[in-house]
Amino acid sequence: MAKESTTIDIGEPSTVTKSTSHAVADEKKKSFVTAAAGGGYKRGLAIFDFLLRLAAIGITIGASSVMFTAEETLPFFTQFLQFQAGYDDFPTFQFFVIAIAIVASYLVLSLPFSIVTIVRPLAVAPRLILLISDTVVLTLTTAAAAAAASIVYLAHNGNANTNWLPICQQFGDFCQTTSTAVVAASISVVFFILLIVISAIALKRH
Amino acid sequence: MKNESTFIDVPAESSSAMKGKAPLIGVAKDHTTTGSGGYNRGLSIFDFLLRLAAIVAASVAAGTMFTSDETLPFFTQFLQFEAGYDDLPTFQFFVIAMSMVAGYIVLSLPISVVTIVRPLAAAPRLLLLVLDTAIMGLTMAAASSAAAISYVAHNGNQNTNWLPICQQFGDFCQKTSGAVVSSFVAVVFFMILVVLSGVALKRH
Repeated sequence: MAKESTTIDIGEPSTVTKSTSHAVADEKKKSFVTAAAGGGYKRGLAIFDFLLRLAAIGITIGASSVMFTAEETLPFFTQFLQFQAGYDDFPTFQFFVIAIAIVASYLVLSLPFSIVTIVRPLAVAPRLILLISDTVVLTLTTAAAAAAASIVYLAHNGNANTNWLPICQQFGDFCQTTSTAVVAASISVVFFILLIVISAIALKRH
Repeated sequence: MKNESTFIDVPAESSSAMKGKAPLIGVAKDHTTTGSGGYNRGLSIFDFLLRLAAIVAASVAAGTMFTSDETLPFFTQFLQFEAGYDDLPTFQFFVIAMSMVAGYIVLSLPISVVTIVRPLAAAPRLLLLVLDTAIMGLTMAAASSAAAISYVAHNGNQNTNWLPICQQFGDFCQKTSGAVVSSFVAVVFFMILVVLSGVALKRH
């Protein structure tokens, strides 16, 4: 639909109408130019989106594998306490590993959609799909990161009221590794928020 | 700027023929603006109602957790026998975060009303989308960290000798679990709100 606004007085000689028809052609050209400019702006956003996704893939794979390999065996032993710690000793950490792995594979699967938005910057459907699925996956990532963070906090500080002892006193390396994984997952949450905002800005029509 | 598409043949025709074409200019009125405005307005009203529901969910979560004190009627020499939300820093974070979330939603109600009144304005919707995404992250963080602590309280952890305190503090555990469920409901509302804003932005 061409966006023209021409008012033409009926009854004037044909030479006048010929000049206003030139104005019509110029405005058609102008509307095409603005469409291409909007496409360029959105293409830039789409490229940034793609790069963010690549970075988020790296970070989530890193977080999941760091937590997966976070084992520690203490060199001494007593009769009372366990002296091996691994991610599978904590159901929350198990959930963390699985959830962040799912998030990483989602990001890989969403790369084609991101490429489509680069190639066709004005298409709405891929961006909307990305926005919706990014929102869902953001929720999952935040859940995994926050739950693991609360367990890591408990392991560091314990709880006097419930007699939960801070195990980090003994398992220093394990605690450090799990904390690193939680920090990495939190960074990926920030990336997801950025991705959602980018999709929303690109969806907004001019 | 009117969105009209009128084609006018330039070649020389008699003025009577052009006069005959005169009525066409006024006819091509664009109804799509009002059409999508009405659709967007519907989305805005649904958004407003969802916000009201999310206020309820968030404040119920904060209130239930805040009042989840329990004192056991017996006592031994060894264990604490009072439990409250302030015994667990994660639950403290939960109460504060959910109160902030409820306050945010109340403050965002005027912006939502603006999107109802002006359904085609993009700036309020974009602002709401960005803020809702950030607050959704906060809500989810509070909800899931409290859920993790509730899980440990219910089941304990054999490897770390963390005893399941819910065996003694049944009421406390029930209330905190209820609060966690309510906050997850609030998260679902936020997800729908974000998607709504995205869809409404698309139909500009």
